[in-house]
Amino acid sequence: MYRFKLLVALLKINVQQELAYRADTAINIVLSLMWLGWELLSLSIIFDNTATLGGWGPGELLVLLGVWRLVNTLMAAIIWPNTERFNTSIRDGSLDYTLLMPVNSLLLVSLTRIVIWRAWDTLLAAALIISGISLSGAVVSPLNLLSFLALALGGALVLYSLWIVLIACTFWFVKFDNNVTILQALMEAGRYPATVYPVWLRMLITFVVPVAVATTVPVQALRGELSGWQVLLFLGVALASLLVALAVWRAGIRRYSGASS
Amino acid sequence: MLRIYQRLWQVNWAEQWQYRANLVMYLLYWLVSPVVYLSVWTTVARDQGSVGGLTANDFVTYYLVLLLVDTLTSDITIHLLAYKIQDGTLAGDLLKPVHPILTGVLVNNLAFKALTLGVLVPIWLGLCLLFRPDFSGVSVQSLLLGLPAIVLGFGISFLLGATITLIAFWTTRVYSLNEFYYALIVLFSGQFVPLELMPRFVQQLAQVLPFQHMKYAPVQLILGRLSPEQVAGNFLLGGLWFGLALALFLWVWRKGVRRFSAVGA
Repeated sequence: MYRFKLLVALLKINVQQELAYRADTAINIVLSLMWLGWELLSLSIIFDNTATLGGWGPGELLVLLGVWRLVNTLMAAIIWPNTERFNTSIRDGSLDYTLLMPVNSLLLVSLTRIVIWRAWDTLLAAALIISGISLSGAVVSPLNLLSFLALALGGALVLYSLWIVLIACTFWFVKFDNNVTILQALMEAGRYPATVYPVWLRMLITFVVPVAVATTVPVQALRGELSGWQVLLFLGVALASLLVALAVWRAGIRRYSGASS
Repeated sequence: MLRIYQRLWQVNWAEQWQYRANLVMYLLYWLVSPVVYLSVWTTVARDQGSVGGLTANDFVTYYLVLLLVDTLTSDITIHLLAYKIQDGTLAGDLLKPVHPILTGVLVNNLAFKALTLGVLVPIWLGLCLLFRPDFSGVSVQSLLLGLPAIVLGFGISFLLGATITLIAFWTTRVYSLNEFYYALIVLFSGQFVPLELMPRFVQQLAQVLPFQHMKYAPVQLILGRLSPEQVAGNFLLGGLWFGLALALFLWVWRKGVRRFSAVGA
Protein backbone atom coordinates (compact mmCIF):
# COMPACT_ATOMS: atom_id res chain seq x y z
CA MET A 1 0.00 0.00 0.00
CA TYR A 2 2.74 2.49 0.95
CA ARG A 3 4.36 1.81 -2.42
CA PHE A 4 1.22 2.93 -4.16
CA LYS A 5 1.14 6.09 -2.07
CA LEU A 6 4.79 6.68 -2.86
CA LEU A 7 4.12 6.35 -6.58
CA VAL A 8 1.27 8.83 -6.38
CA ALA A 9 3.54 11.26 -4.53
CA LEU A 10 6.29 10.87 -7.14
CA LEU A 11 3.80 11.46 -9.95
CA LYS A 12 2.53 14.59 -8.21
CA ILE A 13 6.01 16.04 -7.86
CA ASN A 14 6.75 15.35 -11.51
CA VAL A 15 3.52 16.94 -12.69
CA GLN A 16 4.40 20.04 -10.70
CA GLN A 17 7.88 20.14 -12.21
CA GLU A 18 6.41 19.81 -15.66
CA LEU A 19 3.92 22.62 -15.10
CA ALA A 20 6.79 24.94 -14.29
CA TYR A 21 7.96 24.62 -17.91
CA ARG A 22 4.68 24.72 -19.84
CA ALA A 23 6.12 26.27 -23.01
CA ASP A 24 8.82 23.61 -23.10
CA THR A 25 6.17 20.90 -22.84
CA ALA A 26 4.17 22.38 -25.70
CA ILE A 27 7.26 22.56 -27.91
CA ASN A 28 8.17 18.99 -27.04
CA ILE A 29 4.75 17.76 -28.11
CA VAL A 30 5.08 19.61 -31.42
CA LEU A 31 8.53 18.07 -31.91
CA SER A 32 7.21 14.59 -31.18
CA LEU A 33 4.48 15.10 -33.80
CA MET A 34 7.12 16.30 -36.24
CA TRP A 35 9.18 13.13 -35.75
CA LEU A 36 6.06 11.04 -36.18
CA GLY A 37 5.45 12.80 -39.49
CA TRP A 38 9.00 12.05 -40.53
CA GLU A 39 8.69 8.39 -39.54
CA LEU A 40 5.49 8.03 -41.56
CA LEU A 41 7.10 9.78 -44.52
CA SER A 42 10.12 7.47 -44.36
CA LEU A 43 7.82 4.42 -44.34
CA SER A 44 5.91 5.79 -47.31
CA ILE A 45 9.20 6.35 -49.18
CA ILE A 46 10.17 2.74 -48.53
CA PHE A 47 6.83 1.38 -49.70
CA ASP A 48 6.80 3.65 -52.75
CA ASN A 49 9.74 1.58 -53.89
CA THR A 50 8.74 -1.89 -52.75
CA ALA A 51 5.67 -3.90 -51.78
CA THR A 52 7.21 -5.69 -48.79
CA LEU A 53 10.27 -5.20 -46.63
CA GLY A 54 11.78 -8.56 -45.71
CA GLY A 55 8.32 -10.09 -46.07
CA TRP A 56 6.56 -7.40 -43.99
CA GLY A 57 3.87 -5.16 -45.46
CA PRO A 58 3.18 -1.49 -44.64
CA GLY A 59 0.56 -2.32 -42.00
CA GLU A 60 2.96 -4.58 -40.16
CA LEU A 61 5.70 -1.97 -40.22
CA LEU A 62 3.23 0.54 -38.83
CA VAL A 63 2.52 -1.82 -35.93
CA LEU A 64 6.27 -2.27 -35.45
CA LEU A 65 6.73 1.50 -35.42
CA GLY A 66 4.02 1.74 -32.77
CA VAL A 67 5.68 -0.89 -30.59
CA TRP A 68 9.06 0.77 -31.09
CA ARG A 69 7.59 4.13 -30.08
CA LEU A 70 6.05 2.53 -27.01
CA VAL A 71 9.40 1.14 -25.90
CA ASN A 72 11.13 4.37 -26.83
CA THR A 73 8.61 6.38 -24.80
CA LEU A 74 9.21 4.18 -21.79
CA MET A 75 12.92 4.91 -22.15
CA ALA A 76 12.50 8.64 -22.68
CA ALA A 77 9.90 9.09 -19.96
CA ILE A 78 11.52 7.05 -17.22
CA ILE A 79 14.79 5.31 -18.02
CA TRP A 80 16.98 8.10 -19.46
CA PRO A 81 16.05 10.86 -16.97
CA ASN A 82 16.55 8.53 -14.03
CA THR A 83 19.88 7.36 -15.43
CA GLU A 84 21.07 10.94 -15.46
CA ARG A 85 19.94 11.39 -11.88
CA PHE A 86 21.53 8.13 -10.83
CA ASN A 87 24.89 8.91 -12.42
CA THR A 88 24.97 12.31 -10.72
CA SER A 89 24.05 10.73 -7.39
CA ILE A 90 26.95 8.27 -7.68
CA ARG A 91 29.40 11.04 -8.49
CA ASP A 92 28.37 13.42 -5.71
CA GLY A 93 27.44 10.77 -3.18
CA SER A 94 23.77 11.72 -2.86
CA LEU A 95 22.87 8.11 -3.51
CA ASP A 96 23.55 7.67 0.22
CA TYR A 97 20.28 9.42 1.01
CA THR A 98 18.34 7.27 -1.42
CA LEU A 99 19.74 4.13 0.17
CA LEU A 100 18.90 5.38 3.66
CA MET A 101 15.20 5.64 2.87
CA PRO A 102 13.04 2.77 4.09
CA VAL A 103 11.88 1.93 0.56
CA ASN A 104 13.21 -0.45 -2.04
CA SER A 105 16.24 1.40 -3.48
CA LEU A 106 15.64 0.18 -7.02
CA LEU A 107 12.10 1.54 -6.98
CA LEU A 108 13.37 5.00 -6.05
CA VAL A 109 16.28 4.89 -8.48
CA SER A 110 14.00 3.87 -11.37
CA LEU A 111 10.97 6.05 -10.76
CA THR A 112 11.96 9.30 -9.06
CA ARG A 113 11.93 11.26 -12.28
CA ILE A 114 9.04 10.74 -14.70
CA VAL A 115 8.58 12.90 -17.79
CA ILE A 116 4.80 13.17 -17.70
CA TRP A 117 4.08 14.69 -21.11
CA ARG A 118 5.42 11.52 -22.73
CA ALA A 119 2.12 9.87 -21.81
CA TRP A 120 0.90 11.59 -24.96
CA ASP A 121 3.40 9.53 -26.96
CA THR A 122 1.94 6.27 -25.70
CA LEU A 123 -1.44 7.37 -27.10
CA LEU A 124 0.16 8.01 -30.48
CA ALA A 125 1.86 4.63 -30.32
CA ALA A 126 -1.42 2.87 -29.52
CA ALA A 127 -3.08 4.66 -32.46
CA LEU A 128 -0.24 3.48 -34.73
CA ILE A 129 -0.60 -0.12 -33.59
CA ILE A 130 -4.37 -0.17 -34.07
CA SER A 131 -4.30 1.52 -37.49
CA GLY A 132 -1.43 -0.75 -38.53
CA ILE A 133 -3.42 -3.85 -37.70
CA SER A 134 -6.44 -2.62 -39.60
CA LEU A 135 -4.28 -1.58 -42.57
CA SER A 136 -2.64 -5.00 -42.81
CA GLY A 137 -6.13 -6.47 -43.05
CA ALA A 138 -5.08 -9.56 -41.15
CA VAL A 139 -7.53 -11.19 -38.76
CA VAL A 140 -5.83 -11.30 -35.38
CA SER A 141 -6.84 -14.17 -33.13
CA PRO A 142 -7.32 -13.36 -29.43
CA LEU A 143 -4.46 -15.71 -28.57
CA ASN A 144 -2.05 -13.90 -30.89
CA LEU A 145 -3.14 -10.58 -29.46
CA LEU A 146 -2.57 -11.87 -25.95
CA SER A 147 0.91 -13.18 -26.76
CA PHE A 148 1.68 -9.88 -28.51
CA LEU A 149 0.82 -7.92 -25.35
CA ALA A 150 2.63 -10.38 -23.09
CA LEU A 151 5.77 -10.35 -25.24
CA ALA A 152 5.79 -6.56 -25.52
CA LEU A 153 5.69 -6.39 -21.74
CA GLY A 154 8.32 -9.15 -21.51
CA GLY A 155 10.57 -7.31 -23.97
CA ALA A 156 10.30 -4.13 -21.94
CA LEU A 157 11.26 -6.15 -18.86
CA VAL A 158 14.34 -7.53 -20.63
CA LEU A 159 15.46 -4.00 -21.56
CA TYR A 160 14.75 -2.78 -18.03
CA SER A 161 16.85 -5.64 -16.64
CA LEU A 162 19.71 -4.78 -18.97
CA TRP A 163 19.46 -1.19 -17.78
CA ILE A 164 19.67 -2.26 -14.14
CA VAL A 165 22.80 -4.28 -14.88
CA LEU A 166 24.36 -1.41 -16.85
CA ILE A 167 23.83 1.20 -14.16
CA ALA A 168 24.84 -1.26 -11.43
CA CYS A 169 28.19 -1.56 -13.23
CA THR A 170 28.83 1.97 -11.99
CA PHE A 171 29.25 0.52 -8.49
CA TRP A 172 32.33 -1.33 -9.73
CA PHE A 173 33.70 1.19 -12.25
CA VAL A 174 32.93 4.61 -10.82
CA LYS A 175 33.94 6.56 -13.94
CA PHE A 176 31.35 4.98 -16.18
CA ASP A 177 28.87 7.74 -16.89
CA ASN A 178 28.02 6.71 -20.41
CA ASN A 179 26.88 3.38 -19.10
CA VAL A 180 23.67 3.42 -21.15
CA THR A 181 24.96 4.84 -24.44
CA ILE A 182 25.11 1.41 -26.05
CA LEU A 183 21.45 0.86 -25.24
CA GLN A 184 20.48 4.33 -26.52
CA ALA A 185 22.45 3.98 -29.73
CA LEU A 186 21.06 0.56 -30.63
CA MET A 187 17.44 1.56 -29.97
CA GLU A 188 17.44 2.97 -33.50
CA ALA A 189 17.81 -0.55 -34.91
CA GLY A 190 14.40 -1.51 -33.46
CA ARG A 191 12.45 0.56 -36.00
CA TYR A 192 12.72 -2.09 -38.69
CA PRO A 193 12.16 -5.85 -38.58
CA ALA A 194 15.31 -7.57 -37.30
CA THR A 195 15.10 -9.98 -40.24
CA VAL A 196 16.43 -7.32 -42.66
CA TYR A 197 19.73 -6.95 -40.82
CA PRO A 198 22.93 -8.87 -41.51
CA VAL A 199 23.46 -11.81 -39.15
CA TRP A 200 25.97 -10.09 -36.88
CA LEU A 201 23.67 -7.11 -36.26
CA ARG A 202 20.70 -9.41 -35.71
CA MET A 203 22.71 -11.36 -33.12
CA LEU A 204 23.76 -8.11 -31.46
CA ILE A 205 20.23 -6.74 -31.08
CA THR A 206 18.78 -10.10 -30.05
CA PHE A 207 21.29 -11.42 -27.56
CA VAL A 208 23.61 -8.60 -26.45
CA VAL A 209 21.36 -5.54 -26.46
CA PRO A 210 17.98 -7.21 -26.97
CA VAL A 211 16.14 -4.31 -28.63
CA ALA A 212 14.68 -6.77 -31.15
CA VAL A 213 13.16 -8.87 -28.36
CA ALA A 214 11.06 -5.86 -27.37
CA THR A 215 10.09 -4.79 -30.90
CA THR A 216 10.35 -7.41 -33.65
CA VAL A 217 9.44 -10.42 -31.51
CA PRO A 218 6.04 -9.14 -30.23
CA VAL A 219 5.00 -8.20 -33.76
CA GLN A 220 6.04 -11.67 -34.96
CA ALA A 221 3.70 -13.10 -32.33
CA LEU A 222 0.92 -10.83 -33.58
CA ARG A 223 1.52 -12.19 -37.10
CA GLY A 224 1.18 -15.69 -35.68
CA GLU A 225 4.75 -16.62 -36.56
CA LEU A 226 5.67 -17.88 -33.10
CA SER A 227 4.64 -21.20 -31.61
CA GLY A 228 3.26 -21.41 -28.08
CA TRP A 229 6.55 -22.82 -26.87
CA GLN A 230 8.52 -19.93 -28.32
CA VAL A 231 6.25 -17.42 -26.61
CA LEU A 232 6.70 -19.20 -23.29
CA LEU A 233 10.46 -19.37 -23.85
CA PHE A 234 10.68 -15.60 -24.41
CA LEU A 235 8.57 -14.91 -21.34
CA GLY A 236 10.79 -17.26 -19.31
CA VAL A 237 13.88 -15.43 -20.52
CA ALA A 238 12.31 -12.11 -19.53
CA LEU A 239 11.60 -13.34 -16.02
CA ALA A 240 15.07 -14.89 -15.68
CA SER A 241 16.79 -11.71 -16.83
CA LEU A 242 14.86 -9.68 -14.28
CA LEU A 243 15.94 -12.07 -11.49
CA VAL A 244 19.58 -11.89 -12.59
CA ALA A 245 19.38 -8.10 -12.76
CA LEU A 246 17.94 -7.87 -9.24
CA ALA A 247 20.78 -10.07 -7.94
CA VAL A 248 23.37 -7.87 -9.66
CA TRP A 249 21.74 -4.77 -8.20
CA ARG A 250 21.85 -6.19 -4.66
CA ALA A 251 25.51 -7.17 -5.08
CA GLY A 252 26.26 -3.68 -6.38
CA ILE A 253 24.53 -1.97 -3.45
CA ARG A 254 26.61 -4.06 -1.03
CA ARG A 255 29.73 -2.97 -2.86
CA TYR A 256 28.81 0.77 -2.87
CA SER A 257 30.90 2.79 -0.45
CA GLY A 258 29.65 6.33 -1.11
CA ALA A 259 31.50 9.21 -2.72
CA SER A 260 31.16 11.54 0.25
CA SER A 261 32.37 9.26 3.03
CA MET B 1 47.38 34.37 -36.12
CA LEU B 2 48.70 31.00 -37.18
CA ARG B 3 50.43 30.64 -33.83
CA ILE B 4 47.14 31.27 -32.06
CA TYR B 5 45.49 28.44 -34.00
CA GLN B 6 48.46 26.18 -33.34
CA ARG B 7 48.20 26.75 -29.58
CA LEU B 8 44.42 26.39 -29.65
CA TRP B 9 44.82 23.09 -31.42
CA GLN B 10 47.12 21.80 -28.67
CA VAL B 11 44.70 22.84 -25.93
CA ASN B 12 41.59 21.50 -27.63
CA TRP B 13 43.23 18.28 -28.72
CA ALA B 14 44.29 17.64 -25.13
CA GLU B 15 40.78 18.44 -23.97
CA GLN B 16 39.18 16.00 -26.38
CA TRP B 17 41.84 13.37 -25.71
CA GLN B 18 40.73 13.32 -22.08
CA TYR B 19 37.34 12.05 -23.16
CA ARG B 20 38.54 9.43 -25.63
CA ALA B 21 36.68 6.60 -23.85
CA ASN B 22 33.40 8.52 -24.05
CA LEU B 23 34.11 9.14 -27.69
CA VAL B 24 34.14 5.46 -28.55
CA MET B 25 30.66 5.19 -27.10
CA TYR B 26 29.39 8.26 -28.98
CA LEU B 27 30.66 6.73 -32.20
CA LEU B 28 27.95 4.12 -31.83
CA TYR B 29 25.33 6.81 -32.54
CA TRP B 30 27.06 7.65 -35.79
CA LEU B 31 27.36 4.03 -36.76
CA VAL B 32 23.96 2.59 -36.05
CA SER B 33 21.67 4.62 -38.30
CA PRO B 34 23.68 4.34 -41.56
CA VAL B 35 24.02 0.59 -40.98
CA VAL B 36 20.27 0.31 -40.33
CA TYR B 37 19.32 2.23 -43.49
CA LEU B 38 21.95 0.33 -45.47
CA SER B 39 20.37 -2.96 -44.40
CA VAL B 40 16.82 -1.81 -45.13
CA TRP B 41 17.63 -0.61 -48.64
CA THR B 42 19.92 -3.47 -49.64
CA THR B 43 17.15 -5.87 -48.56
CA VAL B 44 14.68 -4.05 -50.82
CA ALA B 45 17.17 -3.87 -53.69
CA ARG B 46 18.00 -7.57 -53.45
CA ASP B 47 14.33 -8.55 -53.38
CA GLN B 48 13.57 -6.87 -56.68
CA GLY B 49 16.96 -6.45 -58.39
CA SER B 50 17.12 -2.67 -58.03
CA VAL B 51 15.31 0.32 -56.55
CA GLY B 52 14.79 3.26 -58.88
CA GLY B 53 17.90 2.15 -60.81
CA LEU B 54 20.04 1.67 -57.70
CA THR B 55 21.51 -1.77 -57.04
CA ALA B 56 22.30 -3.29 -53.65
CA ASN B 57 25.95 -2.33 -54.15
CA ASP B 58 24.97 1.27 -54.89
CA PHE B 59 23.31 1.45 -51.48
CA VAL B 60 26.24 -0.22 -49.70
CA THR B 61 28.76 2.22 -51.18
CA TYR B 62 26.43 5.19 -50.59
CA TYR B 63 26.01 4.56 -46.87
CA LEU B 64 29.63 3.56 -46.27
CA VAL B 65 30.91 6.78 -47.83
CA LEU B 66 28.13 8.70 -46.06
CA LEU B 67 29.44 7.39 -42.73
CA LEU B 68 32.82 9.06 -43.31
CA VAL B 69 31.43 12.22 -44.92
CA ASP B 70 28.90 12.61 -42.10
CA THR B 71 31.67 12.52 -39.50
CA LEU B 72 33.74 15.01 -41.47
CA THR B 73 31.00 17.56 -42.14
CA SER B 74 28.94 17.33 -38.94
CA ASP B 75 29.15 20.08 -36.39
CA ILE B 76 29.02 19.92 -32.58
CA THR B 77 28.92 23.66 -31.86
CA ILE B 78 25.67 23.48 -29.91
CA HIS B 79 27.32 21.19 -27.35
CA LEU B 80 30.35 23.47 -27.03
CA LEU B 81 28.64 26.84 -26.96
CA ALA B 82 24.99 26.70 -25.88
CA TYR B 83 25.73 26.14 -22.19
CA LYS B 84 28.29 28.96 -22.21
CA ILE B 85 25.67 31.44 -23.38
CA GLN B 86 23.16 29.99 -20.92
CA ASP B 87 25.31 30.20 -17.80
CA GLY B 88 27.26 33.32 -18.82
CA THR B 89 30.75 31.78 -19.00
CA LEU B 90 31.03 33.11 -22.55
CA ALA B 91 31.93 36.43 -20.90
CA GLY B 92 35.46 35.12 -20.27
CA ASP B 93 35.93 34.18 -23.93
CA LEU B 94 34.72 37.60 -25.05
CA LEU B 95 37.64 39.25 -23.26
CA LYS B 96 40.13 37.52 -25.54
CA PRO B 97 41.26 39.51 -28.59
CA VAL B 98 40.08 36.87 -31.07
CA HIS B 99 36.62 35.83 -32.29
CA PRO B 100 35.63 33.09 -29.80
CA ILE B 101 33.54 31.09 -32.30
CA LEU B 102 35.88 31.24 -35.26
CA THR B 103 38.84 30.20 -33.09
CA GLY B 104 38.18 28.10 -29.98
CA VAL B 105 34.87 26.52 -30.97
CA LEU B 106 36.02 25.85 -34.53
CA VAL B 107 39.29 24.24 -33.42
CA ASN B 108 37.53 22.14 -30.82
CA ASN B 109 35.20 20.90 -33.54
CA LEU B 110 38.19 19.92 -35.64
CA ALA B 111 39.97 18.19 -32.76
CA PHE B 112 36.82 16.20 -32.07
CA LYS B 113 36.71 15.20 -35.73
CA ALA B 114 40.34 14.12 -35.82
CA LEU B 115 39.94 11.96 -32.76
CA THR B 116 36.65 10.47 -33.97
CA LEU B 117 38.19 9.58 -37.30
CA GLY B 118 41.07 7.82 -35.58
CA VAL B 119 38.58 5.37 -34.09
CA LEU B 120 36.09 5.37 -36.94
CA VAL B 121 38.49 4.42 -39.74
CA PRO B 122 39.39 0.97 -38.33
CA ILE B 123 35.70 0.27 -37.66
CA TRP B 124 34.88 1.46 -41.16
CA LEU B 125 37.42 -0.94 -42.65
CA GLY B 126 35.78 -3.70 -40.62
CA LEU B 127 32.37 -2.77 -42.05
CA CYS B 128 33.89 -2.87 -45.54
CA LEU B 129 34.98 -6.44 -44.87
CA LEU B 130 31.46 -7.32 -43.74
CA PHE B 131 29.56 -5.65 -46.58
CA ARG B 132 32.12 -6.14 -49.39
CA PRO B 133 31.41 -2.93 -51.34
CA ASP B 134 32.52 -2.51 -54.93
CA PHE B 135 34.02 0.99 -55.09
CA SER B 136 34.72 0.93 -58.83
CA GLY B 137 32.98 4.30 -59.34
CA VAL B 138 35.52 6.06 -57.13
CA SER B 139 38.52 7.56 -58.91
CA VAL B 140 41.54 9.61 -57.87
CA GLN B 141 39.88 12.59 -59.48
CA SER B 142 36.60 12.15 -57.61
CA LEU B 143 38.48 11.78 -54.33
CA LEU B 144 40.48 14.95 -55.02
CA LEU B 145 37.29 16.85 -55.86
CA GLY B 146 35.57 15.33 -52.83
CA LEU B 147 38.01 16.98 -50.49
CA PRO B 148 37.00 20.61 -51.20
CA ALA B 149 33.35 19.50 -51.30
CA ILE B 150 33.70 18.10 -47.77
CA VAL B 151 35.45 21.26 -46.55
CA LEU B 152 32.66 23.33 -48.07
CA GLY B 153 30.05 21.07 -46.49
CA PHE B 154 31.65 21.38 -43.09
CA GLY B 155 31.89 25.15 -43.51
CA ILE B 156 28.17 25.43 -44.20
CA SER B 157 27.16 23.06 -41.43
CA PHE B 158 29.48 24.77 -38.92
CA LEU B 159 28.25 28.28 -39.73
CA LEU B 160 24.56 27.32 -39.73
CA GLY B 161 24.94 25.24 -36.56
CA ALA B 162 26.72 28.12 -34.85
CA THR B 163 24.03 30.57 -35.99
CA ILE B 164 21.31 28.35 -34.54
CA THR B 165 23.25 28.16 -31.27
CA LEU B 166 23.60 31.94 -31.17
CA ILE B 167 19.81 32.27 -31.04
CA ALA B 168 20.41 31.43 -27.37
CA PHE B 169 21.38 35.11 -26.93
CA TRP B 170 17.66 35.86 -27.23
CA THR B 171 16.00 32.67 -25.98
CA THR B 172 18.59 31.29 -23.50
CA ARG B 173 17.64 27.71 -24.42
CA VAL B 174 18.06 26.49 -28.00
CA TYR B 175 17.84 22.71 -27.78
CA SER B 176 14.30 22.49 -29.16
CA LEU B 177 15.15 24.79 -32.03
CA ASN B 178 18.22 22.69 -32.71
CA GLU B 179 16.12 19.53 -32.82
CA PHE B 180 13.94 21.17 -35.46
CA TYR B 181 17.05 22.16 -37.44
CA TYR B 182 18.35 18.60 -37.11
CA ALA B 183 15.08 17.26 -38.54
CA LEU B 184 15.59 19.46 -41.60
CA ILE B 185 19.04 17.95 -42.03
CA VAL B 186 17.66 14.42 -41.77
CA LEU B 187 14.99 15.19 -44.35
CA PHE B 188 16.98 17.18 -46.92
CA SER B 189 20.60 16.03 -46.66
CA GLY B 190 20.23 12.52 -48.02
CA GLN B 191 20.97 10.91 -44.68
CA PHE B 192 17.99 8.56 -44.78
CA VAL B 193 18.04 7.66 -48.43
CA PRO B 194 19.81 8.89 -51.60
CA LEU B 195 17.78 11.98 -52.49
CA GLU B 196 16.73 10.65 -55.91
CA LEU B 197 14.41 8.19 -54.12
CA MET B 198 12.64 10.97 -52.20
CA PRO B 199 9.25 12.31 -53.37
CA ARG B 200 9.72 14.83 -56.15
CA PHE B 201 8.84 17.94 -54.13
CA VAL B 202 11.36 16.98 -51.45
CA GLN B 203 14.02 16.55 -54.14
CA GLN B 204 13.26 19.93 -55.64
CA LEU B 205 13.42 21.61 -52.24
CA ALA B 206 16.60 19.73 -51.34
CA GLN B 207 18.23 20.98 -54.51
CA VAL B 208 17.96 24.63 -53.43
CA LEU B 209 18.39 24.16 -49.65
CA PRO B 210 21.87 24.12 -48.11
CA PHE B 211 21.58 20.69 -46.47
CA GLN B 212 22.49 18.51 -49.47
CA HIS B 213 25.97 20.06 -49.52
CA MET B 214 26.63 18.56 -46.08
CA LYS B 215 26.11 14.95 -47.15
CA TYR B 216 24.45 14.05 -50.42
CA ALA B 217 26.52 16.21 -52.79
CA PRO B 218 29.99 15.17 -51.49
CA VAL B 219 28.99 11.48 -51.29
CA GLN B 220 27.67 11.42 -54.86
CA LEU B 221 30.74 13.31 -56.04
CA ILE B 222 33.14 10.85 -54.42
CA LEU B 223 31.21 7.89 -55.83
CA GLY B 224 31.55 9.38 -59.33
CA ARG B 225 27.79 9.54 -59.89
CA LEU B 226 27.63 13.18 -61.00
CA SER B 227 28.25 14.71 -64.40
CA PRO B 228 30.87 17.49 -64.62
CA GLU B 229 28.05 20.04 -65.01
CA GLN B 230 26.35 18.80 -61.85
CA VAL B 231 29.66 18.96 -59.95
CA ALA B 232 30.24 22.52 -61.09
CA GLY B 233 26.64 23.45 -60.24
CA ASN B 234 26.95 21.96 -56.75
CA PHE B 235 30.19 23.83 -56.06
CA LEU B 236 28.59 27.06 -57.24
CA LEU B 237 25.45 26.60 -55.14
CA GLY B 238 27.48 25.39 -52.17
CA GLY B 239 29.77 28.40 -52.42
CA LEU B 240 26.74 30.66 -52.53
CA TRP B 241 25.30 29.04 -49.43
CA PHE B 242 28.65 29.28 -47.67
CA GLY B 243 28.75 33.02 -48.34
CA LEU B 244 25.16 33.43 -47.17
CA ALA B 245 25.75 31.37 -44.05
CA LEU B 246 28.87 33.37 -43.21
CA ALA B 247 27.05 36.67 -43.62
CA LEU B 248 24.12 35.42 -41.55
CA PHE B 249 26.42 34.13 -38.83
CA LEU B 250 28.39 37.38 -38.58
CA TRP B 251 25.20 39.46 -38.51
CA VAL B 252 23.53 37.33 -35.81
CA TRP B 253 26.75 37.35 -33.82
CA ARG B 254 27.03 41.14 -33.93
CA LYS B 255 23.40 41.64 -32.88
CA GLY B 256 23.50 38.88 -30.29
CA VAL B 257 26.66 39.79 -28.51
CA ARG B 258 25.22 43.25 -27.78
CA ARG B 259 22.25 41.65 -26.10
CA PHE B 260 24.41 39.30 -24.06
CA SER B 261 24.11 40.15 -20.38
CA ALA B 262 26.35 37.36 -19.01
CA VAL B 263 23.80 35.72 -16.72
CA GLY B 264 25.34 34.80 -13.41
CA ALA B 265 28.70 36.38 -14.12
